[in-house]
Amino acid sequence: MVEFVLIFLAPVFGGLLHGLQRVLSARMQNRQGPPLLQPFYDMYKLIDKRAFIIHPMHIVWALLHFISLWVVVGLLILGQNLLYVIFIHLLASIFLILAGFSVRSVYSHLGANRELLAMLAYEPIYILMATGFYILNGTYDVGLIRQEDTQILSMFFLFLAFLITMPLKLKRSPFDACEAHQEIVGGVEIEYSGIYFEFLYMAKWLEYVFVYLLLLLFGGNSIVLGSILFVGVFLLINLVDNSTARVNMAQTLKIIMWLGLSLSLINILGLSYV
Amino acid sequence: MQIVNILADLNISYTFSHSTHLVICLLDLVLLFYFAWQGFKHKQNRVTFLAFTQIVLYGAFLYLSPRFQGVDLLSDELSKIMYFVINIVGGSIVLYALTYINSEPFEKAKKFSFIAILIFFLGVMNLIVTANNIELFFFLFELTTLCSYLLIRYREDDVAIENALRALWMNQVGGVAILLALITSVVYYNTIYFDQLLEVLDPHFLLPVVFLVIAAYVKGASFPFHNWLLGAMVAPTPVSAILHSATMVKIAPFIVLKLSPSFSPLLSTTIAMFGAFVFVGASLMALNRDFFKEILGLSTIALLSLMISLAALGSEQAREAALILLVFHAISKALLFLQAGILEKIYHLKNISEIDTLTNRAPRTLFFILIGFASLTLPPFGAFVSKFLAIEALTKSMLKTPVEVFVLLSLIIGSVLLVILYFKIITKLLSTRAFTQASKEKLPLLYKISSNILFTALVLGVFLLNFLSTLEVLIPLVLIFLIPVLLKRMDFKDAPRVKEYNCGEKGVFEVGMFNYTLNKKYLKSMIYLSVVFMAWHLVVGVL
Repeated sequence: MVEFVLIFLAPVFGGLLHGLQRVLSARMQNRQGPPLLQPFYDMYKLIDKRAFIIHPMHIVWALLHFISLWVVVGLLILGQNLLYVIFIHLLASIFLILAGFSVRSVYSHLGANRELLAMLAYEPIYILMATGFYILNGTYDVGLIRQEDTQILSMFFLFLAFLITMPLKLKRSPFDACEAHQEIVGGVEIEYSGIYFEFLYMAKWLEYVFVYLLLLLFGGNSIVLGSILFVGVFLLINLVDNSTARVNMAQTLKIIMWLGLSLSLINILGLSYV
Repeated sequence: MQIVNILADLNISYTFSHSTHLVICLLDLVLLFYFAWQGFKHKQNRVTFLAFTQIVLYGAFLYLSPRFQGVDLLSDELSKIMYFVINIVGGSIVLYALTYINSEPFEKAKKFSFIAILIFFLGVMNLIVTANNIELFFFLFELTTLCSYLLIRYREDDVAIENALRALWMNQVGGVAILLALITSVVYYNTIYFDQLLEVLDPHFLLPVVFLVIAAYVKGASFPFHNWLLGAMVAPTPVSAILHSATMVKIAPFIVLKLSPSFSPLLSTTIAMFGAFVFVGASLMALNRDFFKEILGLSTIALLSLMISLAALGSEQAREAALILLVFHAISKALLFLQAGILEKIYHLKNISEIDTLTNRAPRTLFFILIGFASLTLPPFGAFVSKFLAIEALTKSMLKTPVEVFVLLSLIIGSVLLVILYFKIITKLLSTRAFTQASKEKLPLLYKISSNILFTALVLGVFLLNFLSTLEVLIPLVLIFLIPVLLKRMDFKDAPRVKEYNCGEKGVFEVGMFNYTLNKKYLKSMIYLSVVFMAWHLVVGVL
């Protein structure tokens, strides 16, 4: 029962996370920043606005992206098969990419293409991470993994690889070329307005929830370690975001593919030898 | 797989009489002399040479072999699954071909012969998956080579004949390999039957098996034999469809699946590694292609290698994964090739860079292409289930042979590369201009029927696989079928429309695709590496 309440509230948590991040980021830059609930104020404003559309298909893809991401988060909260969840997440990302491709807009296409390349970078690492959990816990079942003792030391390199992909998924610097505001004006987002943009915006919140839920898996059954991981990584991501410049897509791919993949590979190899 | 239960009562076990054997021998020789003559006629020394090599080897085999006792035709679970693939997928392609061939500028007799060869091809395939006698297997193997040769050269222009001859000599390499397998099997194991051979096989002398696997590589168009399958694109589209899905190339994973119980650990690791290598290599190669059918072709080569790789791993789960991939790849590829044919015939589009405004003109074809690509990558379709199982199987087998972590890595990276490849094509397909309306698409009846059969098989097939829970199957299916439902429900009549945002610039936006061209140097070394791999197979065979 608790799970279903959590699933229902998942976008709210995501919104809060997003707001918290904006506050934190502002404080790091010595600014006052927006209030914590700013994302929800934005939501209120966006719903009220007149929504322009390009064609219905375009809107449908965005809706599906939002719905499927919610499903992904739901499956993760319910403790389903990790590998399956990762593949459903792939489906959700594909919906976003199709949304970008379905209009004849330069920026939308650029964004979608970059989104596609980003997938090449993070997807293998996610799958290797899942196999890492499988080797250690003997199951892909998220519910069971959460009940086991933490294995973060045995899969430390995988954890590092996962950390590297986080800015890419959260669209934070240095790996935020996918939607790079000043450069390609938001990528896929650009062609949406009003309430339809809100769905895409909320999908982003859900993405936050998804990534942080994956992070919590490294904490195993320990709530303390989980919270430490959460707080530490949250601070770290923002610190890195504020202190690094954006790298372009080719560099992003190179860094994540080489560094992240070799780290995960070493870890997996190590696990299978021991 | 559950599907086999439908054919539970079908048990073929049949031995040919002596005179039938003689007839087959005779036909075999006639066939080889026909190949030699074709080589001679077109001044292709390779064809002639390989044909004569085969004649000599076949003669040697006939001289060596005393009379053996065994069953010639034997059906097992594997061949039952193949019957489904060959007849359902192949059958719907033949249906499609009936309309397709009418739009070609040939005489009536030639059109009939096209359909006749296609059906004969399916018949041969049904037999080849039942053959237990390796000599019979060789004969049928050569018959598939003949069919593909006749079909590829069907248009009889220069390119078609050249490509057909290339397909001929490459496939004859496979024939030579089978003959070598036959001879080594007779000399060392004194049998020419698959079932007996697998029983008495000594893990330190696997040459017959290795030769058969090399023949499989040839049929599966693995590196360095990939060119024949790409050259086959010149033939009418149903030929590509049938070569890529139900027939010919599927012999490759079939042989490996049949033989894999006998592999030594080293051999199975070698084959798995080689398959994984070709999987990534072919996916990379496909990233800069423009010809739609060629992209599909390279992705076939890639996925076939994946099947071979998984089949070779030997664990029950990996075999299952290979089988599922085999079945669903056949359905998806047939569906995609049929759509490629429709694009070619009705919309006159061959290259993806020419494709434009298709959403308005051809929504149905587009939907099938989308489903085709989705079914090769996304949950809950068969290819996904197969990868899912494969990852699990590899995680287990990695603990025994850590080298196989590279198979896992290639599986993951190759799959993602294929996702990128497919969705790069969709870039072109999907982009719709603002202020345009979709019109209804009119297609010939048989085109619609054949596509719908395959589509239904794709969706129903998902429920026949009982690896995912019903919920796990339903979630993505519902998400995918929400697309048309939402489109119908939400017409956005009141919503104001706008043009795309272009930062105030006036220029017209031409949709482009990203391109990744593999350095020629790497390409060459990939081919060399594959030759080295082949040689290594032989070494492993005698270790």
